[in-house]
Amino acid sequence: MKKAASIVAFVAMAGICACGAFGQALSAQQKANLEASLKVDTSVLKSADNQSLIVLSSQKKVIPARPADPDALAETDPLHWYDMEYAGWNAKKVNIPQSPADGAIGKKIILIVHGDHPWTTACTLGAMKVAQACSIKLKVLSPNWDLAVQNQMIDQAINEKPDAICLIPLDAKAAVQQARKINDAGIPLFLFNTLTQADAMNYCVAWTGPDDFGQQRKLARVWADEMQKRNPGAKELDVAYVQHAPGGSPYFARCWGPMSELSGYAKTVKTVAKEAPGFDADKATQVVSDWLTRFGPGLKGIFAADDSAQAIGIFEAFKKAGRTDIVVCAAGNSKQGMDLVKEGKLFAITYQTAEGDGALTIKTAADWFNGKAIEPVRYLPQKIITKANVDSFYPPQW
Amino acid sequence: MADQAIAKADARSTAQGRFIHFVNVIGIYFAALLFVLLGFALQAAGVITNFASAQNFLNIVDNVAMLGIVAVGMSFVTYSGSMADMSVPTTMALSGIVAVQFLKVGFWPAIAAAFAVGLVIGLVNAVVVGRFKANPIIWTLAINYVCMGIIRVVWVNKQIYPDMIASTKDVSQAFDAIYRLEVVKGLGGNPLASLRLPLVMMVAIVIIGQIVLSRTSFGAQLKLTGSARKAAKFTGVNVELITGAAFIVAAITATLGGLTVTSLSRVGAYYNGAGYDFRAVTAIVIGGMSLSGGRGSIIGVLGGVLIIGLINNIMTLIGIPTLSQDMIRGAIFITVVGINAKSLRSLGRDDA
Amino acid sequence: MTTHKKLDRSGALSWVDHNRIYLIFVVALLVMTAFAPKFFNVFNLTTISKTAAMNACVAIGFTIVMICGHLDLSIGTVITLAGVVGLGLKKYVGYEISVPLALCSGALVGLVNGLLVTKVKISSFIVTLGTMTILQGLIYQITGGNSIALSTPDAFSVADFLGHRLIPLVTPRVLITLVLVLLFQFLLSSTRWGRNFYMVGGNKSTAWLGGIEADRQIVVAFVLSGLLAATGGVFFAMESSAATRNMGDNSLMYVLSATIIGGTAMSGGKGGVFRSFVAILALEIIYDGIILFGLGNEVKIFLAGFILAVVVLYEAYASYRHDRVVGQRSELLAELSAAGRGNRSTDAASSRG
Repeated sequence: MKKAASIVAFVAMAGICACGAFGQALSAQQKANLEASLKVDTSVLKSADNQSLIVLSSQKKVIPARPADPDALAETDPLHWYDMEYAGWNAKKVNIPQSPADGAIGKKIILIVHGDHPWTTACTLGAMKVAQACSIKLKVLSPNWDLAVQNQMIDQAINEKPDAICLIPLDAKAAVQQARKINDAGIPLFLFNTLTQADAMNYCVAWTGPDDFGQQRKLARVWADEMQKRNPGAKELDVAYVQHAPGGSPYFARCWGPMSELSGYAKTVKTVAKEAPGFDADKATQVVSDWLTRFGPGLKGIFAADDSAQAIGIFEAFKKAGRTDIVVCAAGNSKQGMDLVKEGKLFAITYQTAEGDGALTIKTAADWFNGKAIEPVRYLPQKIITKANVDSFYPPQW
Repeated sequence: MADQAIAKADARSTAQGRFIHFVNVIGIYFAALLFVLLGFALQAAGVITNFASAQNFLNIVDNVAMLGIVAVGMSFVTYSGSMADMSVPTTMALSGIVAVQFLKVGFWPAIAAAFAVGLVIGLVNAVVVGRFKANPIIWTLAINYVCMGIIRVVWVNKQIYPDMIASTKDVSQAFDAIYRLEVVKGLGGNPLASLRLPLVMMVAIVIIGQIVLSRTSFGAQLKLTGSARKAAKFTGVNVELITGAAFIVAAITATLGGLTVTSLSRVGAYYNGAGYDFRAVTAIVIGGMSLSGGRGSIIGVLGGVLIIGLINNIMTLIGIPTLSQDMIRGAIFITVVGINAKSLRSLGRDDA
Repeated sequence: MTTHKKLDRSGALSWVDHNRIYLIFVVALLVMTAFAPKFFNVFNLTTISKTAAMNACVAIGFTIVMICGHLDLSIGTVITLAGVVGLGLKKYVGYEISVPLALCSGALVGLVNGLLVTKVKISSFIVTLGTMTILQGLIYQITGGNSIALSTPDAFSVADFLGHRLIPLVTPRVLITLVLVLLFQFLLSSTRWGRNFYMVGGNKSTAWLGGIEADRQIVVAFVLSGLLAATGGVFFAMESSAATRNMGDNSLMYVLSATIIGGTAMSGGKGGVFRSFVAILALEIIYDGIILFGLGNEVKIFLAGFILAVVVLYEAYASYRHDRVVGQRSELLAELSAAGRGNRSTDAASSRG
């Protein structure tokens, strides 16, 4: 009996020691994983247009204090758009999972985009480049612009229990419930590209993407400067806006962003029209040629939310009316837009790197796996493309 | 009484019938005139500016040229009693993207390839709706879906650019010119007033269509098939062939429209041509062509297209937002159809 | 209601033809279970039923309209309208009032559609095309282009309630849809009122002779279509806690495909609510499998179109074959040819049809 007991005790202790040793081995492997992961240098990666794939914006965005009631302010007051523009900075994070800090190698990430489009193809490519460099297993899902399908994909993704989910929400408001579901399941969520309603940011680890408002404000200044240059001494510069699809954040950022910026920066600029003809070149042609009829030589500038189909339509209308004096700026940057800049028609566009967008979200996830501290918001670099520097952005990403 | 009503309905037989038909067609242009007068009135009232200028009217017509091309072709389908051809949007997109792809070989091979694709789609529609008598709306919706699938599977999510694929610069410029070629320059001394290719094509197609529909036996057979199908069969008209031929006509104009739209947007993509099915149906219906067939004319369809152009122009000059414009267009559409239906009922035809 | 057997075929083939949607469903289920990774588990199957629930509800009404021989193109915009009304008004009057209001707005649209079709006698294709366009504009007026979302705790609790699993595969929202499907299937197949829809669609003049007020049935069909589309839409919006401007846009082709694949035809007089439901499930199984395989949307779109085209083609061809032999009385033909083999020529027989 005593012998049996001591044998049992011995076996038990051996077992415990073995477990302890085994546990140590796991943790050592994890440490090695972490070290290798930290060594990965993503700064050498390049996107198709020979620009650096991952460049964290060097400028720090100045975050003003939140006004008590932004909605009460005028639309032309930049602070009216506070909640949209600075979404994420004031987020009260809820129940964010802790990073396991064991490196990114071998982690599984599910990337859910918003729909099929050449932009999204480029974005996914950028994400895959970084995933490959960091040895992350990436699965990409696209709901083709359908909210019900995106919800379904989120459910399926949660079921697969990945190490992280990266999501472009189809709709800024519906994002709240989507983010909440993922948060409830305990999976770290990285939102990107589309600005969401502020509440959604409470449930994600971080948001990455273009600072659309900031970019368009910058572009607006360039636009206003050129208009003033071409019309020295003019008391009033009439401008019109060709808008994005109503409801999304670009709809606001690319129309009211410049508008509210110029209400302070260039008070001679006056908005006379805004329309949302969709991304249809022939509808844009019709709208702009009617504007030219309506406003005649008084129209000095047009700001377009899209530099491909909309810009083409704009210039067809100009050609028909023989107008070459109007200053046109647009949010970019597609091949057609860059071609128009090169031809000297489009004055300036913003650089919106699709590959960089996808790359940054994976990089942020990798940083999180490596245990680094993640800022709530990370912006893509802001660049203005004009005829002078457009050649360095070829070949176009999409 | 009913017999007399039916006799009156055959516009080709009696002088009185021809006169009524004439008034019907003029009616549409009368409505168009009303809109023009509305525009003048609004201008006089200071609500809009520069409506009454030659440049503006040229713009209006120019902006609806592509819609006109597609609508005339689809009206053959409507006239023959097959209601509408809902496969037009993806026919346009597919023929456009195939053309861009074949620019690699050359300009004319690209055009030929586009028409080949369009003809295949038209032929399939012709056989299934003509011979097998499938419901035209449902079948053409299904084909629309299938063609969209083909585009998406073959080109996945890529857009292709004419200037990057074309074998030589001349080829890509030729493709670009489909939308932009100025056939007649400097009208009336004004260097800006020029007629571009889409507009010229539309005028040509309207003229050809009107002649075919009103003066050839093909047109007569279409009319009979559309208005009284059984009677047509018993008088020896090959109803299946006629019904099918209408779809081929629609596919040809859809291909032309697709080439033009693709040339305009300078990209081969799956979304070229989106929305053209509903816009064409609206134009056809406003133009007085009854959706049950056998009633209306190509000149009427042109009138419908022009009315749409006028409405768009006036609404944009006023500054009404685009999505509100959709609502107004929908309301006008239903009203016109309702008026049409009521006048048809008085003639004894129950279905509009 | 069993459909009138149109095809002159052997018993087994006609059974297959009659029940093809159930066979398609079973085959799809088996194929996906066998080959799609991680398909056959409670979670995934529940996801399928949840995703199918909205369109299944809409399909009930759409099927009834099609049985009457008409088309309702406005269902997509009614879905969006109901979501927008239901969620948009919740802030002011709570779900208790905003949801019934949303349902009423759907029914109202259906009423307008029905009256325009029956009283003004415009074809349903045109009418519903027009109402669809008008509703799109109306929705824009209401929302200004924005979506509506609720982030209040009680909104989330309703959303969570609608989406939590009651029994495996069934959540409360799925349950609502199931109950409605079974209810309407019962009404349509076993009550006189329900069977009248088939009569109206099958042969209007016979229906009149049988004392059925066709106009009233058609109006009721459209009202039901609007009401059920609104039901599907508003519950979907409640579960997402959001109503986007175009949430209903994809439903039209989805529901139309499912209804046709399920066996209802534009010629009217045949089909069934339960069949459309099974068709939606079958399609959803296929789409879900495609996602699990990791295949892109192009495969999904192509398959969806291809299946619909094949079904429409098959129906058309079958009808064509039927028309070739309709009216021919086989006994007479047999008699004639037997006699003809004897002493008379078969010219008389071949001059028929």
